Amino acid sequence: MTEPAGSAGGGAATPEQELRLLNERHSLATKYIREKIDELLKVIGTSPLRPEELDDETLIGLDPIGIVAGTFRQVLGHLNRTNEQLRFAHAELQAIFDSTGLGILVIDRNQRILASNAKLREQFGVVDADILGLSCREIICKADRPDRLCPFRVTLETGETYRCANWPVGDRHFDIVETALRSPSGEITGSVLVYSDITERVAAEEALRRSEERYRDLFENTSDLILSVRSDGSLEYVNNAWCATLGYRREEAERLSILDLLHPSCDAGCREHFRELLRGEGGGRMRTVLTAKSGRMVVLEGDVRVVREEGQPVGLRAIFSDTTEHEVLEEELRKREKLESVGLLAGGIAHDFNNILTAVLGNINLAQVVADPQDPVHERLAEAEKATLAARGLTQQLLTFSKGGAPVKRPSSITQLVHEHATFACRGSGTIARITGDPDLWTTEVDEGQIGQVVNNLVLNAVQAMDGGGTVTVSTENVTLGPAADPLQPRGRFVCITVRDSGCGIPRENLQRMFDPYFTTKRGGSGLGLAVTYSIVRQHGGHIHVDSEPGVGTTFTVYLPATEQLQQPAQQPERPAPAGMGRVLVMDDELVVRETAKAMLTELGYQVECAIDGLAALARYETARAQGRPFAVVILDLTVPGGMGGKEAIRLFRELDPAVRAIVSSGYSNDPVMARFTEHGYVGVITKPYRLSDLGAAIQAALGSPPPAAP
Amino acid sequence: MNTVEYDIRGQICPSSLLTALREINAHETGLRERTVVLRFLTDNRDCVTTIPESARNMGYTADVQRADGCYRIEVHGD
Repeated sequence: MTEPAGSAGGGAATPEQELRLLNERHSLATKYIREKIDELLKVIGTSPLRPEELDDETLIGLDPIGIVAGTFRQVLGHLNRTNEQLRFAHAELQAIFDSTGLGILVIDRNQRILASNAKLREQFGVVDADILGLSCREIICKADRPDRLCPFRVTLETGETYRCANWPVGDRHFDIVETALRSPSGEITGSVLVYSDITERVAAEEALRRSEERYRDLFENTSDLILSVRSDGSLEYVNNAWCATLGYRREEAERLSILDLLHPSCDAGCREHFRELLRGEGGGRMRTVLTAKSGRMVVLEGDVRVVREEGQPVGLRAIFSDTTEHEVLEEELRKREKLESVGLLAGGIAHDFNNILTAVLGNINLAQVVADPQDPVHERLAEAEKATLAARGLTQQLLTFSKGGAPVKRPSSITQLVHEHATFACRGSGTIARITGDPDLWTTEVDEGQIGQVVNNLVLNAVQAMDGGGTVTVSTENVTLGPAADPLQPRGRFVCITVRDSGCGIPRENLQRMFDPYFTTKRGGSGLGLAVTYSIVRQHGGHIHVDSEPGVGTTFTVYLPATEQLQQPAQQPERPAPAGMGRVLVMDDELVVRETAKAMLTELGYQVECAIDGLAALARYETARAQGRPFAVVILDLTVPGGMGGKEAIRLFRELDPAVRAIVSSGYSNDPVMARFTEHGYVGVITKPYRLSDLGAAIQAALGSPPPAAP
Repeated sequence: MNTVEYDIRGQICPSSLLTALREINAHETGLRERTVVLRFLTDNRDCVTTIPESARNMGYTADVQRADGCYRIEVHGD
């Protein structure tokens, strides 16, 4: 405030002077107040007072200073409260900033760090907390690229929120969200980056993926068939083994129902079992039969489990093994066991039966010798001989089932054999045999008698299937078999005999049993033909396969293993009984056989002695030698129940006389000793029952043979 | 809620502002407790800015509405 003019000076002022001085002071004070009020009003944001609006008196009365002071007091109070709220909010934010499980980084436009929370520093291993002002590249990604190539610059340049999933930093992984920071004017000043560490989740996902891969690997590479079925029966999932076994592609399988795949042979109970399972009933071990895409029957056995969600059945899961091969093999084993049991029985009776037949046949032959050829009895004897030989054939058929029926194999070409037997079987039937063959057919080791029987049986079967008409096609060829779906089919080089007819065919239900002994559908059939055929082929290490369609025809295919060995010349034909001289010793446990053999040999001109077993024969042989009346030939029965048979006796005979000429005799024509008699020290062999001519030829051959090799 | 209305039409700033501030000061307690609402009727355009802005700086809420040829400014506790 300025002192009014004239106030200075000495002496007392007059009242006028004092009044004037007071007015001047009042005027100055009012002016001062008005100026200060204007300043305050300017701070508030309004225009200054105008003198014409408020005169000095009103100005003083209005008390604008008091009003403005009260206003400022409220403004300050409001600011204080606001500051308090801001401090609280800041503390709250800081607490969140520091306690969140997410790393938070605040950067400026140049990617210099403005702030970071403890979690972020922990995530990136920042020990020194003073990272403000450093580039985030140095602290976070440690990348070599310049900042301008950083993908997180997008937000700094466009203001748009940037989200980045599974961003690798070192050995850790982050989901990152970047949000722009803006000034009050909207200018982008920096950004906030929030880092969510997903390393453990990524590791868990990777572990899950590997686990799934392991399970998938197991599922897809197991030989078991694994499938998942929905509650409506449709296939939800099948594994590779299922596809490979059933022959469907996976996408085809997904359109199939398990119920549609059931094989017709799977009875109604099997279908109902699946329906029960789909309703949520049962589960556990089960056997079922499905139809492959090719129509092939597939037998499955395994475990089935009902899948439930919230207690309700929603489908099935099953693991099956393909037991088709196993069941086929089991069936094969059953068949073999059946044949072997027949063979055991046959073997048991064949010995005695052949002994009886030996007596019958021998005596018929002797009767033929003494009877007048013009006598009608001669014809009867011929018929009796034929019937006896037929009985011998039947015995031989039965013996093929037994161990004693092992084939006596020798390298042969079966072309001629097949031709002869096929032609013979068709003779008189009205059926024409069309026979074709590979001229360069490989050699195969066969028992010609048995394989002839096989051809005979198969062609007879064809003739009967066509009621004695039509044409049966018989062919031979060389085949090489590789791996096949049929577990019974062998591999290698084979000579193949095919017999094809266009007859009535074989019903499906009979295919399984057709090789069973005594199974027949023909009136008067013995049920042995195909059983014998099967047994013979099997004993030759071969395989027989049948294809048949009712009403169309049947094809039998026989595979016989080919051999590298050279073919041997055919056996000599039958000759009339040759007479001879000399002493013959007959050893047989059966009286009737001894007596018949003695009579037959006597008829042929030989001197005969008999013995009941090996020991008795040895004694007689030794005595005769000592007496200077040695035996020229010894006939030894191979099997002597309860006594020494020919197999053991020949060893002792050769010890006694290494030059002994011994013939082995047995009803088991196919016994290995009979097949390889020379290896056992015999010079000849004769099968019971034998004809007079057979016996004579055998003695002659023995007498003319070189002495046996030294034991 | 008590509404106190002031007709300050014919007044111009800053006197109209000072009048409003005086009444706001006088009713501080009622406004803070939200028992009072002050309504100012003015035809001065400057008041539409100065009165609400000053009231907000003091921690109040101010609404401006145009009505019957004048402006109605209501000030109430936040």
